[in-house]
Amino acid sequence: MAKKIMAVDDSATIRQVLNFTLQGAGFQVSEAEDGLDALSKLESDPPDMLITDLNMPRMDGIELIKAVRKAPWGKFMPILMLTTESQEAKKQEGKAAGASAWLVKPFKPEQLLAIINVVLL
Amino acid sequence: MSMDQYAETFREETLELLSELEVSLLELEQRPDDADVIDRVFRALHTIKGSAGMIGFDDISTFTHEVETVFELIRSGGMEVTSELVNLTLTARDIIKSMMEMSFGGEPVAPEMMTRLTAGLRALMPAETAAASDVASDVGAAVNAGSEETTYHIRFRPPANIYHRGIQPLALLQELTRLGRCRLIAQTDSVPELDELDPELCYVYWDAILTTGHDEDAIRDVFIFIEDDCELKILAINDDLLDSGQGERLGDILIQHGDLTQQELDQVLQEQAKPKLGEALLKAGVVSGSQLDVALEVQAEVKKRQKQRQVVDEATSIRVRSEKLDSLVDLIGELVTVQARLSQATAEDDNPVLAEISEDVERLTWEMRDHILNIRMLPIGTTFSRYQRLVRDLCRDLEKDAELVTDGADTELDKTVIERLGDPLVHLIRNALDHGMEKPDERRRAGKPEKGTLHLSASHSGAYVILEVRDDGAGINREAVRQRAKKQNLWTSEMENNDSELINLIFHPGFSTVGAVSSVSGRGVGMDVVKQAIDALRGSIKVSSLEGVGTTFTIKLPLTLAIIDGLLVEVSDEKFILPLSAVEECIELRRSDVVNANYKTLLQVRGELLPYLRLRERFELPGERPDIEQVVIAEVQGQRVGFAVDQVIGEHQTVIKALGQMYKHLRGLSGATILGDGTVALILDLPPLVQEAEICEREMVAAQS
Amino acid sequence: MEYLTFKLDNDEFAVDVLKTREIVDLRAVTKVPQSPEFMLGVINLRGSVVPVIDLRLKFGMAKGEVTQSTSIVVMDVLVNGETVVVGAMVDSVEEVMGLDDSQIEPPPRIGTRLNTEFIRGMGKQDEQFLIILDIDRVFSTDELLMVQGVAETSSADSI
Repeated sequence: MAKKIMAVDDSATIRQVLNFTLQGAGFQVSEAEDGLDALSKLESDPPDMLITDLNMPRMDGIELIKAVRKAPWGKFMPILMLTTESQEAKKQEGKAAGASAWLVKPFKPEQLLAIINVVLL
Repeated sequence: MSMDQYAETFREETLELLSELEVSLLELEQRPDDADVIDRVFRALHTIKGSAGMIGFDDISTFTHEVETVFELIRSGGMEVTSELVNLTLTARDIIKSMMEMSFGGEPVAPEMMTRLTAGLRALMPAETAAASDVASDVGAAVNAGSEETTYHIRFRPPANIYHRGIQPLALLQELTRLGRCRLIAQTDSVPELDELDPELCYVYWDAILTTGHDEDAIRDVFIFIEDDCELKILAINDDLLDSGQGERLGDILIQHGDLTQQELDQVLQEQAKPKLGEALLKAGVVSGSQLDVALEVQAEVKKRQKQRQVVDEATSIRVRSEKLDSLVDLIGELVTVQARLSQATAEDDNPVLAEISEDVERLTWEMRDHILNIRMLPIGTTFSRYQRLVRDLCRDLEKDAELVTDGADTELDKTVIERLGDPLVHLIRNALDHGMEKPDERRRAGKPEKGTLHLSASHSGAYVILEVRDDGAGINREAVRQRAKKQNLWTSEMENNDSELINLIFHPGFSTVGAVSSVSGRGVGMDVVKQAIDALRGSIKVSSLEGVGTTFTIKLPLTLAIIDGLLVEVSDEKFILPLSAVEECIELRRSDVVNANYKTLLQVRGELLPYLRLRERFELPGERPDIEQVVIAEVQGQRVGFAVDQVIGEHQTVIKALGQMYKHLRGLSGATILGDGTVALILDLPPLVQEAEICEREMVAAQS
Repeated sequence: MEYLTFKLDNDEFAVDVLKTREIVDLRAVTKVPQSPEFMLGVINLRGSVVPVIDLRLKFGMAKGEVTQSTSIVVMDVLVNGETVVVGAMVDSVEEVMGLDDSQIEPPPRIGTRLNTEFIRGMGKQDEQFLIILDIDRVFSTDELLMVQGVAETSSADSI
């Protein structure tokens, strides 16, 4: 059965890039526009992996990661965070919140898939 | 995968964000301190930047980044909102909009506008922050597969809470095994008793023995997301380790792994009389079985590598000064000569025993000759890397995009030939990139891939090596060649119908079709020089080209320079050798076969008219020519030419000797050889002989008219 | 210093013995077309092809008769910075003898048939004058240009 991945980003363009790339690689993809939107969708049907932007309205990526790690279904979920700059501070913040891996935008589809290979069994 | 499919989504999204941005900026003008509004502005800019970068609108991304940087600073309290700033940002918003519309077919944006705006924004920023703005990107798994494989010992001990970061050690290890041949050993000595065990923590650590062509960075990249939190030791079992002397003894290896302390080792060594160390350590309970396994594995790998190195050092190759090889070639040359004398003498003497010995000597001499010449053979691929670099650098200088694909790197050629082939090949590659290859936009317009391809291939064909330099560029412009040929009086009407003859004009001295002077190839310096160099190696070069499709240069070279098959001929008691490779046939020439047309000396062979030259006249040799001459017909630069001699003696294995400095300036002779009777015969260099004859002929025609 | 002496016509010449390799009997010479007359051609010297010049012709003397004592002195000569093995045909080889620098006088400005450039000095022994040759000069580039000149005029190419 295809693995399920949720892509969270406030940019429709990025969501579309993620969706196409992941579907092309055989994953089943769901989308959310921000942290709150994601949380509400996650609880009813938790995916195998979460990919989230950090900077989003209403609830940002860091808050989302923290919330997911607290949920029983999200304790061990691989989470890939997307950052715009390769800022060390943001990486550390994300890691402390429980992010599994990170990827700097803009990225190439093959970079994304390479990372999923490392974190998703 | 094309990014175009996202462009429409991007456009819609960005237009929406831009109108939101406009509203927010106007609000900001009213309430410059409202953090919420500042946040909205920032986020809009941030999202535009991110999406633009993602789908390849780099100019929009870079420009938006400048504006975003300002608002990031404001958000963190490092700067205040002023009406000037709002004005500038509103203009920036319009510029972003125009940039985007331009991408979808609108008017282009004046670059000055952008720079002026960026400068304005930077002027508002505090000095030290203005300088530091960068759009960086990382995480590019360095998959640099080198040709040589190295074995690594990797110890990976994840943090106990690794599962809580959503990372599966198994996934990482699986990724590691994809790098090469890998043996994994799980170490369980840290796993606590069941009642103390927390099932959500990771107690196991792993050892991996990985043999891979990837480098250490590639291994680190696998663990990049927990590199700071885990224990990761990577030890390359390479020559450095071997040189250090570590890795030989089991105890050292275990200490190095941290599985054993020096004290523990000393203690066990003291207690045990003469045991196997591994068993003793196990028995003493200071190391676990699996730790020992790993150490033994590492030790075995070290030993294997040592042995390999020994073999390489001692047996598979030795370095010999090339002069020694040269003198060996000279010696075998002499032996070949002496053997020829022996055969000749034996033939005159009716002694069956001697004849048998002579035959044996002949066979051995040939075998030895082949072996010795073989020693001088090197794979041509050793020079290929030099051309890779050349292509890369030239592309940069010429603003072209091309890759060099090589083939047949293991084709072997005489060392001297390889050395003397360097310059001509550089010339051809340079020419192909400079004149042949189009710029990327031209290529795109012509419906070709933007990146051009340059093929350099080598292959064997009998006693020859064929080299090919092929590009997929614009090809040779026939009209330019024609014009140039007419200008230089090289044009003949036959060329109209003979394309190959036409394009081979590029090898003519001083011939160049390129009007503009180029810094790379220069003007006119070129193909004739290449041709001369190839001729000097007794090879030949041909070109074929299709306009719009590309050009191919084919170089045919003899395998070795030292010994050739020759045809021995005689003129006025002097002996000469013609390279047999060029000879097509020998015929008799009677006076009646000679056609005198326009001073051209022609001869009729089965209805075909061939030009020929008489060696007696060419070399001003004394004596009357015989009534029946022999004509050796050879192919010289794609043309059949006859050489009239008194007598054809026969084939001769020719050991080439240079004529040396004293005769350096002679044309028409490429060297000398020693015959069976000990006398010296001269070797003819056919192309210059023919060229000179043509020039003489032209002058005679000119003098007549 | 030691010198090898040899005769051309009635004159006696000497060259630094360190420049000489060996003395061989005259043997079959293969003419190389279109070279100056003084360049006799090439010989087979134990498998090597060695050019031979007729020193008489080189020095503007009349061509000599080949006799029993006609020999080839094989020498190492510096041509364009490169050592080249060259044979010189002489009427006869005389001896190897030692000469102090004090026994050598500078070359005369006049009164010799020879280009004084070729002469390193004049030695005197038993009332007989020895012409000591600077053999590298004899084969110097200028001299070789003659060969080149011949080659070029004969090829007559106007590239």
